[in-house]
Amino acid sequence: MIIKYFAWLKNFTNTEEERIDNKNITDVKTLKEFLLKKYPELSQYMKDDEFIRVAINLEYVTTNKTIDPKDEIALFPPVSGG
Amino acid sequence: MIKIQEKDFNIEDEINRIKLQHLNVGAVSTFVGYVRSLNNQQKVTSINLEVYKDMAYKSLKNICLKAEEKWSMIDTLIIHRFGKLNVKEKIVLVATFSIHRKESSNACNFIMDYLKKDAPFWKKEFYNDNYEWLQNN
Repeated sequence: MIIKYFAWLKNFTNTEEERIDNKNITDVKTLKEFLLKKYPELSQYMKDDEFIRVAINLEYVTTNKTIDPKDEIALFPPVSGG
Repeated sequence: MIKIQEKDFNIEDEINRIKLQHLNVGAVSTFVGYVRSLNNQQKVTSINLEVYKDMAYKSLKNICLKAEEKWSMIDTLIIHRFGKLNVKEKIVLVATFSIHRKESSNACNFIMDYLKKDAPFWKKEFYNDNYEWLQNN
């Protein structure tokens, strides 16, 4: 799957996009667990489930949705447009 | 119509372009957002706007459709810029077109409320010797 990071999240991941192929990642919960191991500094922001938002294929998800390997996932901090 | 672009735009030209297509437009409500010179008690030098473009198009289109379901609209225009913007430059235009005032006014506010809350844009604001990522309340 493709994972995209936005705004200051990139300071922790050092990349704006990466491909992760890991069969243990099946849903949002297992993805977050994987990312916390890879980027432990994110833990302070991911304690609150709603702070870092997740989108699957350009749609926000607020529950633990299943992830398909072909999905485009995006993680981002609170928005500030307008 | 949704436009996400780096370049500046002329508000009147953009509105007239749509108005010419619909002779029954009686009301146009607009919101224009600008880069201001002071924020968080610091002097702002510029901002950099980041966007998740594909998602922004999709989500702004959805919110326009929702506004059109709630109020009788003729057309809607959203222009949101990204990239480096200096103080006084335009950031965003929302223009709503309807027959009567109330519909366009309500829809314009509704779209801006959503845009502030959910549209995937992020402002990095630069001051004289530091910067800060902003967060809408």
